[in-house]
Amino acid sequence: MATKTLKSSKAIRRFAMVIDAKKCINCKACVVACKAENQVPLGVFRNWIDEEASGEYPNLRMSFDPEQCHHCADPSCVRVCPTGASWQRKDGIVLVNDDDCIGCKYCIIACPYNARYHNPETHTVGKCTFCSHRVDRGEVPACVETCPSKVRVFGDLHDPKSHLHQLLATRRYEVKNPQTGNGPQLYYLL
Amino acid sequence: MREPVWEFLIVNYLFLGGLSAGLYFASALATWIQEDGRSAYPRIARWGALLAPWPVSLGSALLILDLGKPFRFWKIFFHFRWRSPMSIGSWLLLAFTFLSIAYLWAWLDQEERYSLQARIPEKLRTRIPARVQRWLDLDASAWRRNLAMVGFPIAVGVGIYTGVLLGAVQARPFWNTNLVAQMFLFSALSSGTAALVVARLLDREPVELKEMRFLYSMDITLIVLELFIVLPYLIHGELSSLAVKQALAQVLGGPFTIVFWMLFMGVGLLLPLTIELFEFKPVILGKGTFHIQPRWALTAGGLVLFGGYMLRYIFVFAGQATGFR
Ligand code: SF4
Ligand code: SF4
Repeated sequence: MATKTLKSSKAIRRFAMVIDAKKCINCKACVVACKAENQVPLGVFRNWIDEEASGEYPNLRMSFDPEQCHHCADPSCVRVCPTGASWQRKDGIVLVNDDDCIGCKYCIIACPYNARYHNPETHTVGKCTFCSHRVDRGEVPACVETCPSKVRVFGDLHDPKSHLHQLLATRRYEVKNPQTGNGPQLYYLL
Repeated sequence: MREPVWEFLIVNYLFLGGLSAGLYFASALATWIQEDGRSAYPRIARWGALLAPWPVSLGSALLILDLGKPFRFWKIFFHFRWRSPMSIGSWLLLAFTFLSIAYLWAWLDQEERYSLQARIPEKLRTRIPARVQRWLDLDASAWRRNLAMVGFPIAVGVGIYTGVLLGAVQARPFWNTNLVAQMFLFSALSSGTAALVVARLLDREPVELKEMRFLYSMDITLIVLELFIVLPYLIHGELSSLAVKQALAQVLGGPFTIVFWMLFMGVGLLLPLTIELFEFKPVILGKGTFHIQPRWALTAGGLVLFGGYMLRYIFVFAGQATGFR
């Protein structure tokens, strides 16, 4: 399992995201920003907000949970892919190499977080890339940049100076369904 | 719940792949068992050999058509991913398909082989290199038993693979148990046997009593084994963690309950078992004489095939609706 512990000094980076879901107001700016940034086709999504109502009238409570690919430490989508089109960068970002994807959809089925979709235009598989093209330029993912209530914090787990690292060092958090064994890397603050 | 991304093409593929594995297995067994120095059930063995290559070929074609990018399917064979069941399975299927074609060739008579070759257009036939021609002229019947032996593990592997493809996905608790592979294997072998019952009864040459005895005892054993896997699958699942219990609800009160209990367990498993046991009673009890009632035997065979299809249908669709939540 991936942890937030620091590996040797100038270790490889390990990108992850902290989500402060309590601040989410369900404005879906992140969903729109992702669609625009990555030209995600109509009808499919790389990120979304899970809405859950709880309690009994009149003490109702609505909670919003931003969801997307968890860029797992041990991603089952990568394991099952028969061509190696699904792969993981050294910094943890899980990607699909479009040219090698045969569209067998095995990875869609094997992802416990339902984070992948069949792209109706290319007939290959798509998913959140953590905006790797932006990250490689030193920027943060589009959803992080756009969120008006600062729900999302993106950063390097191995960098003790990062905001993400400090949040995880001082706040309590959980990951979703760790029993999948995938080692999800979206940290939800409690 | 998300929409299923694997649908009927995959159901058909799993069924047809398993059917071929079963046909090969039953035929190989019939070849392997000897009586007075030759195979004891030559008609069964031959029918199995003649039928085995086709379902799996059709199934693989369907699988390729189901890909988002069918013209890229060859990429599977250029990236060997040993942790991906689909990668291993594709190699296995390829080997099995070639083997079953070789086995079919070995079970053809000399004249049949010649007449098949005579159908190749003259221009092409004269171009066949002498070395290949010598191979084609070889009397392959001596190879039948060897091919049968080599084929046992491969056919069993294909049967298991159809289950492992689903069972190795830890994200879907309905599949992710250590019983699915065996369930699919025994169901596959049973479908193959049932298909031979049907083939042999529709054959022009009347079926012999000892052949029916062979097929019946095999099919009864396989169905019983399958039952002994389906029941623990349900019981163990009910005693398992919440995710598995929730997944099993698909067939225990959920949308697939009726299909599972009526069409699979009832019509597809217990009914043919009852018919076969009833027919086979004289042999089991050692009392009375064993007759063949073609109508009953055909019904039982057809139902087994139907049950095998239902099992795949339920697993492919119900499994995708399950997850951790
Ligand atoms: S969340 Fe799903 S798609 Fe993302 S890395 Fe994990 S298994 Fe793969
Ligand atoms: S759909 Fe593409 S990325 Fe997914 S498992 Fe198949 S080949 Fe790999």
